[in-house]
Formats: sequence, structure tokens, C-alpha cells
Amino acid sequence: MANSSNNSANTNPTPPYRPYRLKKILTNHTRAVSCVKFSKNGKLFASASLDKTLIVWSTETLTKLFSLIGHSDGVSDLAWSSDSTYICSASDDRTLRIWDARSAECVKTLKGHNGFVFCVNFNPQSNLIVSGSFDDTVRIWEVKTGKALHVIRAHSMPVTSVHFNRDGSLIVSGSHDGSCKIWDASTGACLKTLIDDKVPAVSFAKFSPNGKYILVATLDDTLKLWNYSTGKFLKIYSGHVNRVYCVTPTFSVTGEKYIVSGSEDHCIYLWDLQGKNMVQKLEGHTDTAISVTCHPTENMIVSAALDNDRSVRVWVQR
Amino acid sequence: MNASIIDPLQGDFPEVIEEYLEHGVMKCIAFNRRGTLLAAGCSDGSCVIWDFETRGIAKELRDKDCVAAITSVCWSKYGHRILVSSADKSLTLWDVVKGEKIARTTLPQTPLQARLHPGSSTPSICLACPFSSAPMIVDMVTGNTTVLPVSLSDTGNGVVPPSRNKFSDGSAPFSPTAACFNKYGDLVYVGNSKGEILIIDHKNVQIYGIVPIPGNAVIKNIVFSRNGQYLLTNSNDRTIRIYENLLPLKGGLKFLEESNHAGDEEDAFEKLKAVGSRCLALFREFQDSITKVHWKAPCFSGDGEWVVGGSASKGEHKIYIWDRAGHLVKILEGPKEALIDLAWHPVHPIVVSVSLTGLVYIWAKDYTENWSAFAPDFKELEENEEYVEREDEFDLMPETEKVKESDVNEDEEIDIVAVEKDSAFSDSDMSQGEICFLPADPSPDVPEPQDKFVGSTSKQGDSNQSASALSEEAGQSGRLTSHISTPLEAMDNSAAEDNGGTSSRRKRRSSELV
Repeated sequence: MANSSNNSANTNPTPPYRPYRLKKILTNHTRAVSCVKFSKNGKLFASASLDKTLIVWSTETLTKLFSLIGHSDGVSDLAWSSDSTYICSASDDRTLRIWDARSAECVKTLKGHNGFVFCVNFNPQSNLIVSGSFDDTVRIWEVKTGKALHVIRAHSMPVTSVHFNRDGSLIVSGSHDGSCKIWDASTGACLKTLIDDKVPAVSFAKFSPNGKYILVATLDDTLKLWNYSTGKFLKIYSGHVNRVYCVTPTFSVTGEKYIVSGSEDHCIYLWDLQGKNMVQKLEGHTDTAISVTCHPTENMIVSAALDNDRSVRVWVQR
Repeated sequence: MNASIIDPLQGDFPEVIEEYLEHGVMKCIAFNRRGTLLAAGCSDGSCVIWDFETRGIAKELRDKDCVAAITSVCWSKYGHRILVSSADKSLTLWDVVKGEKIARTTLPQTPLQARLHPGSSTPSICLACPFSSAPMIVDMVTGNTTVLPVSLSDTGNGVVPPSRNKFSDGSAPFSPTAACFNKYGDLVYVGNSKGEILIIDHKNVQIYGIVPIPGNAVIKNIVFSRNGQYLLTNSNDRTIRIYENLLPLKGGLKFLEESNHAGDEEDAFEKLKAVGSRCLALFREFQDSITKVHWKAPCFSGDGEWVVGGSASKGEHKIYIWDRAGHLVKILEGPKEALIDLAWHPVHPIVVSVSLTGLVYIWAKDYTENWSAFAPDFKELEENEEYVEREDEFDLMPETEKVKESDVNEDEEIDIVAVEKDSAFSDSDMSQGEICFLPADPSPDVPEPQDKFVGSTSKQGDSNQSASALSEEAGQSGRLTSHISTPLEAMDNSAAEDNGGTSSRRKRRSSELV
């Protein structure tokens, strides 16, 4: 379904929007769910919770496969390796753990952070892990040995988000100190500062699938899409509520291009990428929808919410 | 990629030693096509593959049959196979992903250099340059060897392996003849001891062209640039010469066959020289006019813009870098150990050199902090610019409202999915499944006593101030920072685990921002 060009002769009109609907509610966690992510092959998705565990679910049956138990405090973030075999989790117990997603065993524990580890990501080659923490540092770890290759004193306040770009050469980090910076992954040197205002805090930053743009969420109810080489933002998305929590938005590229984000008013918002208009608002959660993830090939969204709700919800297109 | 935000003012060649790699005694090195993996042959017969991004060992290829020092190592085009030549006269072909031996052949003499055919993704034929006889094409699967002629009088010798000590042209023994494939492997360029470059079709074992080098000194090395457009020779007269390849990259063989039939000179030698002059044109000569040093392991940079050569003098580790126009741009000086091998990274301005002690030094640009990276709207100027202020700039109430206008068209279509092709690797055939990295499986932790993590790293004791508010993953800004005080020596706390699997150690410069 190609988007028509902006000519007067509209031979291919844009197809009508097909709304998402709730398919299933999964309530296995006993405390707030902090993060959900699909594996890169889409067969599994995992959720992390403040109940100190992670759960791996099957996409096909939408049932729980097993739990990953081992952290001694709540888990804030998780990431899948590119071949979907390993999961790395970031926890308030100041460690990161690498789990084997087939055997449910914890293979490695990465120690070194001096504060809650808040965000984590693999690089596309999955030989490096980047993590951000409340100790204001960003650390790059080698997967094989678990050694920290770089410790970057990146910000002056907790780091809320870290992400590698498409070829693994750059890392973007966002922090409560209001700044969003880009780092060279091999040397740890700062290459660019995208935003440097003290307010509002940057709660999330992520590269687009082709690595050219960065989606930044700030705690003033705003999402912006930046072209990082020119340093200017190109799109603003608003209408949701985001003042307190680090809500993690994402790109939906399987059908039409959308930006999907949770919100503190318990809903999930979808915006058209180009037009910036809100196309749907998914209601159902009873607490802040903190995390959303999109299936890599199908039109499926999975969301998670905080303590009052504790559920993971699966939404599909009609 | 990220070229748009990297400072373009810095030169594109390395300057200082960034790091060294140690694992046994390494003798020779080779990068894979993209420079993500570095293969190193060791003196104990094993071949180590380093993950160049993490600077850790990704794989080790070890064969119990081969315990003699490795003399050269070579990747196949897309990284599926590695060919290793060893001092026990053998050639071994490895499957990289499985880590298994595919084939092993023994030659009559120790091959000093062995190159896999660059044209296919799973090559089985290779070019081997033995210690003191003519180069030969070896088929690893069948074990057949085809000796290539090293001078005009050699043509027609056929398949008989040389059992004599001298070449047929009477030159002295123990002078290894250099040879290399061209970019697609249809031709072999041989540099012989008479100072001639022979262009040979290895399938038919026929010389198609001869290019004599001015001075006719013995040729020690002959190397193509990565794009196949330049050829480098290193001769005994201490001069490196750059030739421009005039043949079309893919149709070279056809052109030569046609020229062969078309020529009308009576003398075969003159005819071949005429053809040769249409294949290579001398472009530049490099030498160190002051110290007149012999060169070792010269090669091109990844983009062919720079030429690098090591000084062959014992006891010094010097690397000379020239630009293609002929200017010497840098001399890198390392520790006082002789240099035995050299390689330029295919993409980045990084040079890797092997010293006699078996260490591999990585030379890279000296990273100075780019201070303008810390301010979003800071613009660096190359030179002073006169600033002309606006008419109303210093007015108390300017006419235009002071609003930061976005001069960007917000309705512009953005493409977040399309990826630009990487121009540096224009001929990559994506269907071949290039191996850019080896899967990194984390080595399992050694189980340790449970109470180790509390208190050892952080000075603040148990994080019990995590009242329920703090343990929420959300960022309630403002409340948190006073509680967590990071000790200033936050570096390198993670050295807790030491998986003593490999004996590799690394020295690393501090990556801490000041």
C-alpha cells in the first residue's frame, strides 16, 4: 500500500486507517511492569517488572513460557540480542544480567555501576552492551567477557535512555539533566550534543530504523523527531501526557509509519509519522502505560503499565 | 553513517598507538573485508581471530597437526574462509564460522605467502609464494599445484614442480618471488628477481604482459590497492613504486587475450612489453632519500589514498605514511622492536603493526576532545570571521519578536526506514551473506559468594534509602540526585571477573571525560 504522492490526480488514495483492538491481557507480574520488548525475530517477547523478575512470552500463543529470576531488586529495562538468543536486563540492584533466552539461565552478571541501572541496549552485532544508570554514567560492556570497555561520565543527572544506531558506531543517551548526547561507540568520545536545555528532562532517546533520525521524548508532554546531523527537529508529536515517568515510545514501520507511545493518562497514542496527527488512542490500562513495543513484521503492539494495573496487553489490527 | 558529525578537520591517518593486543607470539595479520575482524597467525601454529570492535578474541583456530609458525594469513572475500600458510610447508584452509579445518596441503617448500582467490566467496584455489621457488596456484581441494612462470623463458614448463635450486634464468636461490591476484582474481601479477612485473593468466599459465621496472632491482613485494586501481611494488633498490592499473577491472583478461592476438612484433619479449605498457603506468616512486632504508610490508590504505610502509631496519619500529601524490605525511615511531607485518584498516584511519616480540600494535588518530560537541548550536570556525550585527540587534525592544523560529519545513516527508548504500563497498553482493562479526556468546560467570557485590564497589552501603518512591523506575526529577554520590574513581570497577580462558591482556587509554 504505497503512499500517494501529493499530486492532484490521486489514483492511489491512502487506505483508511485500520484501528488496533485489544486481543489479550496478560497479568502474570505481581508488581508494576516496566518494560516490554519483542525479540528481533518476533517469535517471543519479554517483560520486565519491579517484582524482580522477567517473563518470556510466546507471540504465537500469547502465553508465558518461563520467568527469569535472579535479580535482587526491580528490573527497569531489557534488551534482546540480534539473534534473539540473549536478553540483557537492567536492574535497581546495580547490575545487569545476561540471560540465555532458550534455557532461562542467567549466563553473566555485569557489575560496576554505582546506582540503579535504568536502561540497556545491545549493539546490532550484539558483541557490546550499553547501559545507562542513576550514577550518571553510560557504560559500554563487552558481551563475551563482561568487562566494561568504557565508562563515560555522560551526564550530571540520571541517564534515562541509551541506544545504538544501525551500524553500532554511535550511541545516543538522554538524561534528566535535559541533555541528549551522541557518543562514538568505539572511543567513548562525545560527538554531538543535540539538546542542552536544563528543562525539560529528556526521558527517552532512540535512533530511527535507518539511523538518520532520533526520536526524543521530554517530560513536557512532547515527542520530537530530530535530524541529528543538522541538529534540528523536524516533527513534534503531542496530545499525550508525559511529565513524570520515562515512557518509552517506538516506531511502527510494519504497515503505515506511526509513532506509538504510552502516556500517563493510561492510554496509548498512535500518531501518523508524517502528518503528526493522532490516529488512534488505545484505552484499557488502569495506570500509566509505560512501555510499548511493535512486532518486527506484523501489525501487533504490546504494552505494559505500572503498579495499579500490572498487566501486559496485546493489541492487533482488526 | 556518522561521517556528517565527525570533525573533518583532522587528517585521515593514524598518529599514536592506541592499544596493543597480546596473545602468544603473533607473526602476521590480516583484516577481513570490513575490518571488523582481525586474523593473526601465531608462532605456535594457531590462528587467532580478534573482534576488532571489542578488541577481544572472537575465535581461535588450532590444529594439532600444525605446530610450526604461521607465515601468512588470508581471508576469503566475504569472510567465510581463512587460508593459513605455515613454516612446516603446509597450507590449511579453515571454515571460520564452524572453526573447522576444510583442507590441508603440503608443498615442497615453505610458503612465505598464500593468498586465496579473491573472486569467489568460497574459494578453493590459492596463490602460494614458496620460500625459494616460483609461485604456484594450489587447488586446496584436489591438492594440484600449477607452477607459474617467473620469466619469459619459463613459459611452457607446465606442471612440473621445481626440484632444482636455481631458476631457469640463472638467478640466485633464496630469493622469494612476489605475486598477487588482481582484484577479481583472473590475473596474477608476479614480480621477479629481474625487476619485471609479469601479468599472467593463471588458468592457461600464459604470460600476457611484461612491465620492466626502472632499475631492474629484485622485487620483494607486489600488492594491489583494495579497489584494484593501483599496484605497489617494493624493490631491493629501497624504492616503493606505485603503478596505475590501466586494465578494466572486470574485462582485463579479455583485453589481454585480444592484445595477444593483435600484436605484430616479431620478438615475443617486445610484444609482451608493449602489452604490458598498456596495463600498468608508473605513477610515483617513494624512497627515504636520507636514510635509504629498506621497506617492509608496504600496502595501501583502505581507500587507496595513502601508502604505508614499514622500515625494515632491525631494532626500530617505524611506519612511513605517504599520500598518493608522493608527499611523506607522517612517520610513526613505535617501541624499539623490529616490525614484521603491517596492515591498514579497510575503512577507518587505523594501522595495525606486528612487532618482532609478537605484539600487535594498533595505531589510531589521537582523539582530542571536540569541545564544540558539547554545545548544540556551537559552530566552529576555521578562521576569524567579521561579525556584522543586525540593525535591531541591540535595541531594547527589537522589531521582530525574539522567538527561535524553526526554519525547517515541518510538513516535509521523512523517511525513517530507507538505508543508503555504503559507497565504500560498492561491489558487495548481499546474497553471499558476508560475515562481519562472529557471534559473541558470553562466557558463563564463575559462581561466587553471594555477598560480594554489596559494599565492595559503592561507598554508600546498602541502597535502603530506596523508599518505594525511588524504586519506581520513573524519573521523578529532583529528588534523587542528592542520595547517590558517585565515587570519583568510577573507572574500571568492573574488573571483578577475570575469565582466565585466554592469555590476552590489553593496555587501554583512559576513556574518562575530564
